[in-house]
Amino acid sequence: MSEAVGKVTGPDAALGRLEVARAAPTQPTGGKWRRRIAYVILISYALLMFVPFGWSIITSFKTLPDSLNLGLPDPWTLQAWDYALTRLTPNVVVLFTNSLVIAGIVTISNLTLGSLAGYAFARLRFPLSGLLFLMVLATLMIPDQLRLVPVYILFNNLGLTVGVGQYLAVILVLAISATSIFLMRQYFLTIPKDLEDAAKVDGAGFFTTFLRVMLPLATPALAAVAILQFQGTWNSFFWPVIFLKDQSHLTLPLGLAFFRLSGGFGTNWPPLMVVVIIATLPILVLYLFFQRYFVEGIAAAGVKG
Amino acid sequence: MAAAVPAVGGPKPPSTKTGSRIDARREAIAGYAFIAVPMGLFLILQIGMLIYAGWVSIWDWDIRLGPQNLIWFQNFQRLATDPGFINALKNTAYYALIWVPLTMAIGLFLAVVVNQKIRGQTFFRASFYFPAIASSAAITTLWLFLIAPSGLFNEIRGALGLNPVFTLLNFAPNHDWAGNYRTAMNSIILLNAWTTSGTFMLFYLASLQSIPKDVYEAAAIDGAGQWQTFWRVTFPLLRPAHFFVATVALIGAFQLFDQAFIVGGVDGAPAGTTMSIVLYLYNAVFRQINLDYAAAVGIVLFLIIMGLTLIQRRVFPEPDW
Repeated sequence: MSEAVGKVTGPDAALGRLEVARAAPTQPTGGKWRRRIAYVILISYALLMFVPFGWSIITSFKTLPDSLNLGLPDPWTLQAWDYALTRLTPNVVVLFTNSLVIAGIVTISNLTLGSLAGYAFARLRFPLSGLLFLMVLATLMIPDQLRLVPVYILFNNLGLTVGVGQYLAVILVLAISATSIFLMRQYFLTIPKDLEDAAKVDGAGFFTTFLRVMLPLATPALAAVAILQFQGTWNSFFWPVIFLKDQSHLTLPLGLAFFRLSGGFGTNWPPLMVVVIIATLPILVLYLFFQRYFVEGIAAAGVKG
Repeated sequence: MAAAVPAVGGPKPPSTKTGSRIDARREAIAGYAFIAVPMGLFLILQIGMLIYAGWVSIWDWDIRLGPQNLIWFQNFQRLATDPGFINALKNTAYYALIWVPLTMAIGLFLAVVVNQKIRGQTFFRASFYFPAIASSAAITTLWLFLIAPSGLFNEIRGALGLNPVFTLLNFAPNHDWAGNYRTAMNSIILLNAWTTSGTFMLFYLASLQSIPKDVYEAAAIDGAGQWQTFWRVTFPLLRPAHFFVATVALIGAFQLFDQAFIVGGVDGAPAGTTMSIVLYLYNAVFRQINLDYAAAVGIVLFLIIMGLTLIQRRVFPEPDW
């Protein structure tokens, strides 16, 4: 995993990426022992990270009585996987699909609305644009919890708390985040204007210029927004637990809470660990391939602060 | 607009003043069209809801029939003496008081260690940050398994012969860390310190690497040791980072929800010890079915967060970057 964080030059720097990887360590070079101690600390802490996840994988191949023992599975068995995938209610495949569909739609929505608004705020001149952009950023200071009751009442009145409406409620409330608009705007600001001017001379309208010229140039920012939003929505707990009430509508995180609290599987650890693995794996895979964008999430959180 | 002076033979077609005004208008219309949907959502679901929350909180609000009686600030008066809310407030304050400094300390420590000239820096950084981006529900479930009565933690301390120490502290060999009222909240604190320390490490790393090298060289020339250099030079220079991380951490601490929900359920079991403010808000909506009261809890939470941020700005004035 050497140097997963790519070079940041030109427009990329606008994303406010925290360049931690390649910057030279600023501490003076210490003695051999100091470095050895550093390695011991780092490896021990890394073990604290890996052992729990490793243990969940090992446990998923155990029987329930065996899951209480230290050590490797004896015997190795796929019982828990079979049980988790076929016998849990709500079904794990349904949970997975719900998570995927909701995260997918929220991601596409943020990409679309975020790039449109980001482009307008970066490039188009219209009255009050500065003030409106400030307002977008100011919404980051409103905690979700304050909005819970009013949003719930509004959506309840609109019929979005029953049936398929439950999905729509979660999607609507996550449809656009200020972070997406901010990231897109900052990126568009760094793209040279000549290209747009050329398109205008050719008689292209604003939307055509945006779609054909600017959007293809903004691929890195689009990727960052997509990954941030997908990860955030896939893991999200607060809004889903407010609106997704039918068992068949739950997502993976809600399913886990349900199994633990009311599903009667609270201590049937091997299948629970299977669900933990299924809920974690897609994000782990994304992380391995696109680590730099996750670090950008940190930079975006900086905006939130 | 640049078109004020018609550029003959320039890249742009020469345009008259009227033409540029029409262009400006077209551009403004396009701008509004581009932002219409997202701004509409922001206006309704963010700004509008801020006002609506205040409106709901001063009514006796029926979930089906809407506003019934105007009760002004009665909900807020009731909150001041509601033992359930005060318990949630205390629990959350306790959580913040322990979790914020603990996680900041671990984050800073990791940042300093990772910042040494070592191999595999990227690897360590990446692995320390991973728990922060994994699903909170998944990590909490995994944590509950690890600290269960016959879970990995209890097994390992038994195998290492550490149980006499734990017996001295009055913990049985199969102590139920998440299920016992003495340790449930502390187990959430440890869990979140584990998952969030990587995030704080990244914040601190960025700051550490912006400290110029000559500062350390000067300290070395003055004969300062490692320890001294850290406390006298590095730590004070990280002030902006301390300020930023502490603010982010405090705001996050008062929004504790996912982990408390999965560990203790809607009622904050055991014995309400994992009841956080946000969990109490959820409880007010879905257990007590008292929407206006819940709205008042939300407003109080918002005020607490705003207040903390302001106090912090007072105590640790934001330095000029």
